[in-house]
Amino acid sequence: MTAVDGISFDVDRGEIVGIVGESGSGKTMTALSILRLIPEPGKITSGRILYGEKDVVQMSDEDIREFRGNEVAMIFQDPMTSLNPVLRVGFQVEEAMAAHSRFTRQQARDRVVPMLQRVRIPAAKDRVRDYPHQFSGGMRQRAMIAMGVSNEPSLLIADEPTTALDVTVQASIIELLRDLSRELRAAVILITHNMALVASLCNRVIVMYAGRIVEEGPTRAIFKNPQHPYTWSLLRSMPRVDETTRERLISIKGLPPDLGKMPPGCKFHPRCKFRVDRCFNEEPPLGEVDPGQLARCWVLMKNVANPEAEAQK
Amino acid sequence: MAQAAPVAPPDLELTYEMPEQATLLSDAWRRLRRNRIALVGTVIIAILFITALISIVWTPYPVWLQAVGPTYQPPSGAHPLGLDQAGRDILSRIMGGALITIEVGIGSAIIVSLIGIPLGLLAGFYRGKVDTVISFFINIWYGIPDLLVALILVFVLSDALHLIPRGVFVIIIAFSLTRWMDVARLVRGQSLALREREFVEAARMAGARDFYLLVRHIFPNALGPIIVQATFAIPAAVLFEAFLSFLGLGLPSPTPSWGAMAADGYHGMDFAPHIVLAPTIALSLTLMAFNWLGDGLRDAFDPRMRR
Amino acid sequence: MRGTLLYIGQRLVLIAITTVLVSSIVFLLLHQIPGNAFLNETRQSEETLRAELHHYGLDLPLPQQYANWVTGVLHGNLGESLVNHGVLITPLLVRETSVSATVGFFALLVTIGLGLVLGVIAALRQNTWVDYIASSTAVIGYSVPSFVIAIFGLLLFGHYLYVWTDGTVFYQPGWGKVEQIPVPALALGLPYASYVARLTRASMLETIRTDYVRTAWAKGLKARVVVLRHALRNALIPVVTILGPLITGIITGSVVIENIFGIPGLGKEFVTSILARDYNIVIGVFTFYAALVGLANLAVDVIYPVLDPRIRY
Repeated sequence: MTAVDGISFDVDRGEIVGIVGESGSGKTMTALSILRLIPEPGKITSGRILYGEKDVVQMSDEDIREFRGNEVAMIFQDPMTSLNPVLRVGFQVEEAMAAHSRFTRQQARDRVVPMLQRVRIPAAKDRVRDYPHQFSGGMRQRAMIAMGVSNEPSLLIADEPTTALDVTVQASIIELLRDLSRELRAAVILITHNMALVASLCNRVIVMYAGRIVEEGPTRAIFKNPQHPYTWSLLRSMPRVDETTRERLISIKGLPPDLGKMPPGCKFHPRCKFRVDRCFNEEPPLGEVDPGQLARCWVLMKNVANPEAEAQK
Repeated sequence: MAQAAPVAPPDLELTYEMPEQATLLSDAWRRLRRNRIALVGTVIIAILFITALISIVWTPYPVWLQAVGPTYQPPSGAHPLGLDQAGRDILSRIMGGALITIEVGIGSAIIVSLIGIPLGLLAGFYRGKVDTVISFFINIWYGIPDLLVALILVFVLSDALHLIPRGVFVIIIAFSLTRWMDVARLVRGQSLALREREFVEAARMAGARDFYLLVRHIFPNALGPIIVQATFAIPAAVLFEAFLSFLGLGLPSPTPSWGAMAADGYHGMDFAPHIVLAPTIALSLTLMAFNWLGDGLRDAFDPRMRR
Repeated sequence: MRGTLLYIGQRLVLIAITTVLVSSIVFLLLHQIPGNAFLNETRQSEETLRAELHHYGLDLPLPQQYANWVTGVLHGNLGESLVNHGVLITPLLVRETSVSATVGFFALLVTIGLGLVLGVIAALRQNTWVDYIASSTAVIGYSVPSFVIAIFGLLLFGHYLYVWTDGTVFYQPGWGKVEQIPVPALALGLPYASYVARLTRASMLETIRTDYVRTAWAKGLKARVVVLRHALRNALIPVVTILGPLITGIITGSVVIENIFGIPGLGKEFVTSILARDYNIVIGVFTFYAALVGLANLAVDVIYPVLDPRIRY
């Protein structure tokens, strides 16, 4: 079975790229494959993951180890289960640095408290010796972030970093991520299904469906002129406060396809309101629709005369 | 909104498989049949039972008959497993030992359940003082070498007080008196949890008496774990008998206990290893078979516990 | 720290009470025997028998005997051997305990060491031949009683090794030399080692799939560190919970092992004394066993919070 197929994108320094899509669309697999962390028995069968000049897929075990957490760091979804319950929080931050050659053991030890302070954990000096169960959910995610940025990586991958947290905490975690990425001049890949979060944080958006990129482009363009019916429906499925017209919300009927039995043609056609005959047996390529904006669709929303009416049918 | 779609309807496959109507036992049996190692165990146990049954009416030679040939004779055509230090036919004695093993194992499992189930049910159902007393015994027993207490019990009951003659029965009694806590603890937990369940509550509302609730509602629902626990009591009891008889504190000579046979053979091991090998292998296979079956039953009754 | 000490203190008191209670059962059982040990010695005249009974205080009413015995136990005095006059039981048993504890310690080493190594290897190489061999050894091993392993060990190392090496290298049953330790320790430890291996494998399979182990990989830690510090540390927690029953099992097993290998420890004394009807020693050995099991369980409970910081006393 193929979870992710033909994904191709690049991220530049200082850029924040959002990857959005329903659960099961392959967002997390894409992120994990950047660090070659696909869980057994999955594997990368073909393709390249270039970091500068180096290809992650071809790296030796030792090279990929040195690469993980040092050049590229990852922040996982659930801070409750992502920290080791039997090790002190401070130690877990320290070992992230000690594993790499950037800092000496002593430097790593000295940097723990400043790192925890940097992610705004109050009374960091007293809390380094705490265990994860003594931390709240938000605190744990801060500790995870501290761990991630401790080696000053140039790419930070955050996989739904706020999904498991209280709404009140979410905003402060996002703010922290934005500030840190600016300070470090690091690129960020933000994986989420929260379109509002993408709108507020990302420069560029990648929309995934059934293991493929269906649309990609600058945040502004995507939100203003979504070209793929999936993106369009996704945006119309959210209530908006600023919208004065009282449009009806659009729901996407059905479920994303099973990895085992992918439909032929465009993978979205079974749920698409705008499909044409071609969609049933020919998969569209990811083509440029506007400068910098790509979409994988035979129809494209700009060619639909009255999408609202069509969708409500 | 829900009008006919312009083209073919969305390809949404939603099929439901009707779950087969199955009782606890038949469901467990279905799962057990798929467990290969448990099946191997069941086959070995079946062979053990058949051997034991045959030994009641027929063994190649009487199990006690000495000097049917030269002592220490290695396996031969006439005596497939050879002869022991007294010239007794080992195959006959292994067959007789199978019967003793079955008696001890099954007998102990039954008595352990007979003591443990009612006490566990009562402790869990009535809680309070009844529970305190029963749990006290369970907890105290948890921290002591119970097999050694059972060993002393056998000795006191048969040798010192002459209350019960040394034999299978006293071993079953001693084992059960020191091992009912395992079953009781398990049943107590089950009964404690089940008494709060809706169907018990409903029956209580309908005016059912406590005895009826315990027998018709709580006990049948705890049956799965009880069967598993009782199955594990069998190898434990078999091992206990072998252990006692090996030390010379169990079944008296010339009873063909596998443990005693191992002890007999152990002295001539250097030149006649077949005497010690036959009973030890038979014993190990039996213990393995019951443990495999027990593991299989545990998985079958509680698929969530599967390791 | 003070809480822990207080807890240990309370537990020690509880162990003392349980020990007295449990050995009281054995005391009362054995004192049901009318006339006690000396009735079997038919040679004795009426007069000497009365003198004997008086010497041991066996002519007193049972409650008085019991009171004397409890006072003795609380002062560490377990009385005098009924068979070998003048031999005090406490020092005898203390000496034998040191022998049994040596065997038991090495057996525990075999159990835990071998069990952990096999379990971890089987889990890391899940569904390979290494796993199959390790798992099937484990599933066979935990059903083979230690006295059967002892017999095989004796046959293999005592007899066949002697034959093969022309009597240069072989195991000589007995006690006093270092080379006499491994065979009994193996025989005693192996059945439980396979039990520990099964448990460790199951537990490791669970932990290597946890989020925090994925975090550890993502940090770029070395494989050895991930497996030992992150996966195994957590996998040990359920293994430690069976240490208590394990130690009880090793004590029970030692009774037969010491008799097979001619090791002058508590277990050999136990059987010898029962057969010789030296009830005072039987009660004494049992008192020692009860105390040992209690102390072993206490040791396990003290280790527990060290492994799992979520648990506090």
